Amino acid sequence: MFTIIIKDVTVLSAIGSLLAIIMVIAQRRLSNYGDCKIDINGKRELVIKGGNSLLSSLSDKQIFLPSACGGRGSCAACKCKVISGGGPILPTEKPLLTKAELAAGDIRLACQVKVKSDIKIEIPAGIFNIRRFNATVTEIIDYTYDTKGITFKFADGEKIDFLAGQYVQLETKPYGKVKQGVIRAYSISSKPEINSSLQLIIRYVPEGICTTWVHQHLKLGDTVSLTGPYGDFFLRDTDADIIYVAGGSGKAPIKSMLEHLAVIGCKRKMTYFFGARTTKDLYLTDEMHAFEKVFPSFEYVPVLSHSEQGDGWTGKTGFVMPYFKDAIRDPKNTEAYLCGSPGMINAVTKALIEEGIPKDKIYYDSFG
Amino acid sequence: MKETTQEQRIRARMQPGIISLNGFLGKDKRSISDIISDDDKQLQALSRTPIEVAERMLYFSNASFNAFDGRVTVDDIYVVETEVTRGRMNCPWAHDGFHRKYITSLTNTKNNTTVVWTALNIHLIKEHSFFEGKGSAFRLDPATLVKALF
Repeated sequence: MFTIIIKDVTVLSAIGSLLAIIMVIAQRRLSNYGDCKIDINGKRELVIKGGNSLLSSLSDKQIFLPSACGGRGSCAACKCKVISGGGPILPTEKPLLTKAELAAGDIRLACQVKVKSDIKIEIPAGIFNIRRFNATVTEIIDYTYDTKGITFKFADGEKIDFLAGQYVQLETKPYGKVKQGVIRAYSISSKPEINSSLQLIIRYVPEGICTTWVHQHLKLGDTVSLTGPYGDFFLRDTDADIIYVAGGSGKAPIKSMLEHLAVIGCKRKMTYFFGARTTKDLYLTDEMHAFEKVFPSFEYVPVLSHSEQGDGWTGKTGFVMPYFKDAIRDPKNTEAYLCGSPGMINAVTKALIEEGIPKDKIYYDSFG
Repeated sequence: MKETTQEQRIRARMQPGIISLNGFLGKDKRSISDIISDDDKQLQALSRTPIEVAERMLYFSNASFNAFDGRVTVDDIYVVETEVTRGRMNCPWAHDGFHRKYITSLTNTKNNTTVVWTALNIHLIKEHSFFEGKGSAFRLDPATLVKALF
């Protein structure tokens, strides 16, 4: 009896081991896609080892598509056009594609598409300017109780080429309960002329993985990785008047734009409305007012929505929209640059259009 | 109750540091289906459904959005304020895309009850009847929520 049991167990173990070996061999053979070619815009060809996602295959070759979720298929920032070789659209992509994109069938999430054969894609040319930077934290400024300005200096000789208003992606490191790094996007708040370092303005978000890391763990001398620059929110080179509207950390790209204009010179009429709740939420106020002496026609207008008794506030109160009328002299020749929450962007856009500013001259970077 | 493989995957995504800093379960040791079932019983006893509750929450969040994210009084007794922060979050059930990051605070001045929720709370309640585990930063007790909302 005992011999039979031993024999059966041995036979079963042998079969199990054999099956495991077959599966390992099969997996190695079946998932070995060999070298695959990625044709980009019909102008550039990369040879990569097949089997990885399009997003990571591109980043291995120093081509960085935007990705706020680190390739987890949740942010949809890595959408790109796959002309051929991408296979069918996956169920993980469908919820993140619009009806038009689904109908077109060639817009895909690069993080979900596996490169298993030669593939042809189209990406904006600006993507080639995006690079990864290693940087050291050289300055941390507490702007308010929940907002910090962090300066990152790039490793030797590294320089970033960006337009005022664009953003970078900051990669966090594991800390505390957070076992995996995350990637988050932040507008650059320093001017493009300083290209060996950059500053980000980061507001603490309750339960935020990245902002908690920045506010509670990041310290001077720490090294981080950044990729960028990204985004199509940047200052247009025209002679039009400008209305800037920002709230909270939305001040970052506007600060970059103003500092850039101060370097190159600007005679455009500009008005900057900064919406905050209370005096505690105001920051860089003196620095922004200082631009009134730099430019021939610039006004900084902070507006408090929740001014409190005894806070000493004598400036404008309520929402920013009622004050637009006085700042606009020729609506058809006025551009607007907005950065803040979707609610603010919607309300401000509506008000600016009512004032006669063409919709296509209203540029925005929405937190949403 | 023993968790299915699918629930184990969801539980993994609810752990601290995956989607949010402290996760969705707090110190709750119950299975996800037990958490949902217990809260559902509480809600049924109050003659409310998760969809009714979620739609009411959305009604108030939208009301404060329409007021430029400011503090508004809705229907005379609800003081509502929503604060939007940068970024988006995905659902631990890994469906339905991702959700804006905002926190709505509502005070029912008639019974002096205050509740605070996120955009993801609304989705989790509407689609998954999930009010988060006890001790979680954004756990919503169904009874308190109903008291504040209706």
